[in-house]
Amino acid sequence: MSIRIGVFICHCGTNIGGTVNVPEVVKYAATLPDVVHTEGNLYTCSEDGLSSIRNQIEEQELNRVVVASCTPRTHEPLFKKNCELAGLNKYLFEFVNLREHCSWVHMTQQDDATDKAKDLVRMGVAKVSLLTPAEDLSTEVLPSSLIIGGGISGLSAALTLANQGYHVELLEKRDRLGGLLRDVNRVFPSNVPTSDLIDPLINTVLKHNNIRVHFQAELIDVKGFIGNFTATIKENDGTGELKIGTIIVAVGANELKPEGMFGYHLFKNVMTQLEFEQQYRGDYSGLKDVVMINCVGARTDDMPYCGRFCCITAMKNAILLKEADPEAEVTILQRDIMAFGKVFEEYYQEAMQVGVRFVRYTVDRLPEINGVGNEANKVRVYHELMGRELELNADAVILTTPLVPAEDNQTLSRMMKIPVGNEGFFMEAHQKLRPVEFPADGIFIAGCARYPTEIVECISQGYAAAAKAAAPMSQGRVVTEALIAKVNPVMCSACGRCVEICPFGAIDWTDVSVSPKHTRRIAAVNQAECKGCGLCAASCLSSAVQLKGFTDEEILAMVSATIL
Amino acid sequence: MTQKATLVIGGGIAGMQASIDLANMGIKVYLLEKKPSIGGRMAQLDKTFPTNDCSMCILAPKMIECANHENVELITYSELSELTGSSGDFKAKIIKKARFIDEEKCVGCGECIEGCPITVSDEFNAGLGERRAIYKYFPQAVPSTFAIDRRGTAPCKAECPAHISVQGYVALIAQGRFQEALKLIKEENPLPAICGRVCHHPCESVCTRGQVDEPVAIDFIKRFVADLDLNSETRYIPQVKEKKEDKAAIIGAGPAGLSCAYYLAREGYRVTIYEKLPVTGGMLSVGIPEYRLPREIINAEIQIIRDMGVEIKTGVEIGKDITVKELREKKYKAIFLGIGAHECKSLNIEGEDLEGVYPGVDFLREVNLGKEVSLGDRIAVIGGGNVAMDTVRTARRLGVKEPFVLYRRSLEEMPANEEEIEECREEGIPIYPLTNPTRIIGEDGRVKAVECLRMRLGEPDESGRRRPVPIEGSEFIMEVDGVVPAIGQESDWSCLGSECSCTLSGWGTMNVDPVTLQTDDPDIFAGGDAVTGPRTVIEAIEAGKQAADSIDRLIRGVDLKEGRGKVWEPVKDIPTAGYEHIPRTRMPRIEPENRVSNFKEVQLGFSENETVAEARRCISCGVCSECYTCVQACKAEAVDFHQKERETTLNVGAVVLATGFDLYNVAPLIEYGWGRIEDVITAMQFERMICASGPTIGHLQRPSDGREPKRLGFIQCVGSRDIRHMKYCSAVCCMHATKEAILAHEHYPELTSTIFYMDMRAVGKGFQEYVRRAKSEYKVEYIRARPGRVTLNEESQNPVIHYEDTVNRELEAREFDMVILSQALIPTESNISIAEKLGVELDEFGFIAVPEELRNPFGTTKEGIFGCGFCQAPMDVPDSVIRASAAASKVAEVLA
Repeated sequence: MSIRIGVFICHCGTNIGGTVNVPEVVKYAATLPDVVHTEGNLYTCSEDGLSSIRNQIEEQELNRVVVASCTPRTHEPLFKKNCELAGLNKYLFEFVNLREHCSWVHMTQQDDATDKAKDLVRMGVAKVSLLTPAEDLSTEVLPSSLIIGGGISGLSAALTLANQGYHVELLEKRDRLGGLLRDVNRVFPSNVPTSDLIDPLINTVLKHNNIRVHFQAELIDVKGFIGNFTATIKENDGTGELKIGTIIVAVGANELKPEGMFGYHLFKNVMTQLEFEQQYRGDYSGLKDVVMINCVGARTDDMPYCGRFCCITAMKNAILLKEADPEAEVTILQRDIMAFGKVFEEYYQEAMQVGVRFVRYTVDRLPEINGVGNEANKVRVYHELMGRELELNADAVILTTPLVPAEDNQTLSRMMKIPVGNEGFFMEAHQKLRPVEFPADGIFIAGCARYPTEIVECISQGYAAAAKAAAPMSQGRVVTEALIAKVNPVMCSACGRCVEICPFGAIDWTDVSVSPKHTRRIAAVNQAECKGCGLCAASCLSSAVQLKGFTDEEILAMVSATIL
Repeated sequence: MTQKATLVIGGGIAGMQASIDLANMGIKVYLLEKKPSIGGRMAQLDKTFPTNDCSMCILAPKMIECANHENVELITYSELSELTGSSGDFKAKIIKKARFIDEEKCVGCGECIEGCPITVSDEFNAGLGERRAIYKYFPQAVPSTFAIDRRGTAPCKAECPAHISVQGYVALIAQGRFQEALKLIKEENPLPAICGRVCHHPCESVCTRGQVDEPVAIDFIKRFVADLDLNSETRYIPQVKEKKEDKAAIIGAGPAGLSCAYYLAREGYRVTIYEKLPVTGGMLSVGIPEYRLPREIINAEIQIIRDMGVEIKTGVEIGKDITVKELREKKYKAIFLGIGAHECKSLNIEGEDLEGVYPGVDFLREVNLGKEVSLGDRIAVIGGGNVAMDTVRTARRLGVKEPFVLYRRSLEEMPANEEEIEECREEGIPIYPLTNPTRIIGEDGRVKAVECLRMRLGEPDESGRRRPVPIEGSEFIMEVDGVVPAIGQESDWSCLGSECSCTLSGWGTMNVDPVTLQTDDPDIFAGGDAVTGPRTVIEAIEAGKQAADSIDRLIRGVDLKEGRGKVWEPVKDIPTAGYEHIPRTRMPRIEPENRVSNFKEVQLGFSENETVAEARRCISCGVCSECYTCVQACKAEAVDFHQKERETTLNVGAVVLATGFDLYNVAPLIEYGWGRIEDVITAMQFERMICASGPTIGHLQRPSDGREPKRLGFIQCVGSRDIRHMKYCSAVCCMHATKEAILAHEHYPELTSTIFYMDMRAVGKGFQEYVRRAKSEYKVEYIRARPGRVTLNEESQNPVIHYEDTVNRELEAREFDMVILSQALIPTESNISIAEKLGVELDEFGFIAVPEELRNPFGTTKEGIFGCGFCQAPMDVPDSVIRASAAASKVAEVLA
């Protein structure tokens, strides 16, 4: 069947029409090869314009459509859908941007703009005739999720997914659920025992029909892509495979042990906040003078990040100490009080009200710990506001340290092709707007594995990651535009550039048989993982990788059309 | 049954994210946003910390995703009015405010903006720039639909009997767009040059500017544009639709008849006016003296009506020269009676038949028709209306030595135009108020004197004016040569023959339907003084217009009443604070000594400069002026001034609140000088200034002098962490200020910034590194201090920050080019009403209360209603996004 192209050129009111001589471009477009219909529209995107496109597809038997108007960012879906309504495959549509790319930038050069508009339309027409129909890609998504980590984030994610009716495989490295919180005595800001919060949650998870908990389990390998992952796990001395549709990484983090800092290794009564909570568990007898030092191992040149909630942890333990014994002297040495937001600022006020003393120290004059034998008893600190050094008595010195990444983050990163940042925490797809997603589809992140995060935030992130995982599972399928890369096996020289460059890990090696006896390794694109970014196509030296909708042939046709 | 749909309230980043996540989970979402576009506060940001991503670049795709998602229905410019039911089965009533733009038709091209004469402070640009009354909230708005900021109809238009778009033409005139203004006036009033002289201008009585200082001189600026047109080479002649065969007859060429003819001619009808007098214009010509309304003005405006195809036959008396029956036979489909009221009412006192008693209207008619009338030297004109003023001033000009006015009420009650009374007094004519003639005394059949009674004011009568009550025994006699009663007129109905079945009221006026002006004869309509008794020109014009509408409907065979009889409600509660006192421009007049002996026009008219200056005094009561320029500019025909507020009810299973935040008003923190020192601005104002799509296109400019600043001082915690204002920490300002300082340095490498802070709360991922880079690479200095005040260095005109250095404990003062206040962020005020409608509780600050934060951080005090983002507590973008997704998951769980 012969190519029959319709070209619809939009005035966009005067946005295009005020600069570009649209009737002239319409007339010109009619002279281009295979163009059988042209028209100018006041607004092609209005119902008038859209119905005209549909009518012409039918009457003129158009099998290619070019709309020359504004930006594809907002309008391409509209026009593609419109073509589909008229029975034309949407991949046979080409968009030319005469507004952002022409009239708006050449407002003062009307003749030149008209010439450029003709060039752009000619390029569009050259390309559209080479386009071929395609169908959107669709893959099935299993309605089950693998959650790695049974801390508060993982538990929250597991519960909400299970309550929504999805099957959950919850993987826990240890022999019990609850993660780091297990070691925490009480939780701020209500100061209730941690077990009040976590025990009911664990019990619900354990009893839930939709959740299978794997204790002392380790993830060995993950294969597949969104909708169809296969996870190999090791548990009870055996290995097994799990088929899941989505994965949530909630492996948590560890408290920094401040080796070599502030006498931590010298004195037995110098400890971290978590160690303090485990050691004393609410019985603070014998503690009359307590000094806490914040920002230990945080906000330094070596460890630049802030632990986010360590200040609040210190305040919590200080308040508990003061509540147990109002006569106790509790001093927090701090650099900035990170009581951000509403609840924590209130908590800070509460701490000051119960008599916790806050003393600011600076990094150039760090506090000094002195002691006798293996027992610390004095802390010297320079008080900036008073302008002199203070000597504080100390029955215990508590070092407030941040969380540090879990030890096997790097392994998981390699296994699932999910990135970690400089500090060793996992890196989300976008810090602002995709905080619980990874660039790879179907894998999500929650809690302290991403960055130190307090309890409410962990719960929120667990739920948020669950929402992301639930989306494809609720639909049962993922549909992607067919604009993806494809490798021509004959042309592929197996150089590996595309395998390396693909940011989504969508290209892998595969063996193809070249004769009954011989096979050859070539690159192959996994359709479900390809995002159509085109890096592979651009980097392929043999022109073996072609991106649908942007093939070399199509782009060269546009280039030829420009220079002709 | 559980409803699967969810209502999300608030279209900021949290609301959008919750909507997208819910929609992706297969749940239908209604996303409600009170502003004209979704996008929220993030849309106002230039960049986002700590990656310095362009805010709009990452936000716009989200907005578009919301708009294009098949499961998301955007309901913008709308608010919740009521929520009933319970979790799983709510009914939400939504009020969709009128945009006056058809969302289906608007393509967002922006051609409508160009002509809009109204500019208002641009809220999106934090008040730094201006926008038009028709506007898109911001360039990337979704939906990309415009909206008209239309508070309502301005009082002037509502009050004008003809409902001319007064604010509209005043706004156009203020921009020097005289021809457009005239066209707009002529939509509703075919005789603007006439009205510009003689209208009683009720528009001015209700003008809101009057509450500031004095009303705008609306009538005089109208006269200017009308005169300008009449004096131009080609006058504006309204376009006439395709000529029709149907004919209409109009009886009387006064304002009512002329107006009726004008509107019928515009519709294409063949119109003939029959006029009894030898001149056209009716009372305009024979009632109003020339020194007020020159004949050539009347003739010029009537000529335009003739140019539109109207035929005027003068000297033809209906009932005598031709009858109504004959008109009907000549295939006139309808007849309009606009015969006016030309017969003087009698005083009903003794001596009225004496020689020397000359009715005022008769006197004026004779004089205006060029006849000589001799009255004597001492003339009493009786009455307080315009006819009395016109009569007495005309008499003065004809050489009467001692004309004066007797009026039975006080000066305040006089119905004559104020300026007529003023000019009358300038001309040395006495007005005796509270004086009622009781008897005319004659000698030899001629007037010799008039006996009067002194009056006092009693209780108000049905007209609202205080009733005059005679003072007993106060009779006195004034010697006069003539008495001219001018106390009102009535109509002469001899034109009606037996073929007419229309009826008269007890007052001698024609009975008509008040809306259609149809008489008891279906083909006869009447209006003007003939129906109302003696009233005003503009009322007659309106009557003619309404009759024309009825006649058109009658001929076309459609319902005469449908859609008519609109009650015009003026906009209320117009803010009048903050306007400078500018006196009303005075109308220049000929000096009294140069006018009392001739008929030259007394009022000379405004100059162009005076007109424009006067028009600029308008305070734009309705915001939109209803000039309809946008209606013409919109090629997509999307502007719809008839659009009404609409109510819809949605069935939803759950509600998610994401109402975001407002900016704390820093004006009460007077120590920091905002509003007093021009170069002290808020962080949001700075954000708009540094944004490439903002009012200064990304250039930093000091508001005071436009100079590029070299030193910026940021003051943190302005209104936050302050028991006098907001106790809480606003959570984002430390990073926000750091970002702004970085951006400023990126724009201007010479620029340095100093941030005064209490604690540098850089707690998020990558935040510490961001602050480190600010110090090391972007010349940002951090000083731990809470500044006490900001003053102005009078000499350099720079703001100075006073603070205590916490390192050396010295009081210091640092001068900056610009000071930026990191204002507190507060829950939106609308939370209060929303919470009330939803039945959820707020905390002490107005945030949505979260009763069980550890167990259900997304919950509220009511089951089935959830919260996320800043409306729960201060949080940054990623935290808001996380909370939004989390709330979505919780909703999915509840609705599962």
